[in-house]
Amino acid sequence: MNRDLYAIALNNALKEIKKAYPEIHHSFIFSNESNIIAADTETDQETMTYILESFETLKEDSKAIGNIKSFQLVGKNGKIMLVNIDDMNLVLKTSKNMDNTHIYSVTNIILPTILKTLEAFTPTHLQPAPPEQKETNHKELEVDTLSGFFAGDSVQIDTEILTAWNINDDPRERVRAALTGEKIVQEPVENVKIETLDGNSTLCKVKEIDDQKLKGKNIIRIPEKLCKNLEINKGDLVKVQPM
Amino acid sequence: MTKNKNENLQEKLQEIKDKEGIIGYILRDEKSASIDLKDPKKIIEYAMLSSTAFDVGLNISEDLQMGELETILLESEETKLLSMNIDEQRLSLFMEKNVNHEKIYKELT
Repeated sequence: MNRDLYAIALNNALKEIKKAYPEIHHSFIFSNESNIIAADTETDQETMTYILESFETLKEDSKAIGNIKSFQLVGKNGKIMLVNIDDMNLVLKTSKNMDNTHIYSVTNIILPTILKTLEAFTPTHLQPAPPEQKETNHKELEVDTLSGFFAGDSVQIDTEILTAWNINDDPRERVRAALTGEKIVQEPVENVKIETLDGNSTLCKVKEIDDQKLKGKNIIRIPEKLCKNLEINKGDLVKVQPM
Repeated sequence: MTKNKNENLQEKLQEIKDKEGIIGYILRDEKSASIDLKDPKKIIEYAMLSSTAFDVGLNISEDLQMGELETILLESEETKLLSMNIDEQRLSLFMEKNVNHEKIYKELT
């Protein structure tokens, strides 16, 4: 299942939940970074933005009691609820008479199960990858030294590796793009972190390898001065990660 | 608000605040505020949160046509804030998460 289908599936899930519980008038899901992930068809953008902004204000002042896990407002004509599920937030606007056990079923059982199931079928998780997972983005490359007047300060890497790193793999961006029809902006990798086996590391600018003979050899060309600073030589292996 | 009603509410709050898990309360009207919190260092932070919760609640209920605001419940991992309008006063009750807030609400209304 790709991310576009994920967004469709989540929208359909909200639609079906609404059918099962007619007391739900509006529902949408947004991430902890305030990106709208899915919404039922009757909830307009203006309402969602308004609610998001209100919760942002509340989140700031709620630090006194810790991170908000849920918010419920009861008015004479209805209820509004926000429930945090991992790094997602579900917002429901319901009639005042909606049974609390039904609300609990939706917020604590049905939707978390749907999210977990969908994530099991998606190639990338919705949660931001923990540091060790991000490490899988790194490449182990062999050092080749760059010398001469035009060596500059940038390291050089194969075009294919840079292109693979260019792909915007933030799942929220992809889901949002699927919902809004916006194009995903692919940001080129401009900097990399180089880490030696001895644990020395540095950040530096990166370019494509310009020497045709050296392309496709899984190497990183590093200016001599930088090699000295990192205490590495030609033929050593280093870990390289896009930043 | 009549004196009797006010006295009655104050009495109830005195009883509630001694219950297990109750952190304290902030009661405000247009002219005055009475605050009783177990940790006085948090008075400012809690007062700001109470005020923001009411502002956000009132704005949402007005703009989304939810009618007159009855209660606001905000929960974090360990703490709950129950806010409500009682007559012409704004009450914010802070409590531990395991406290039955519905029971407290019934006692107050």
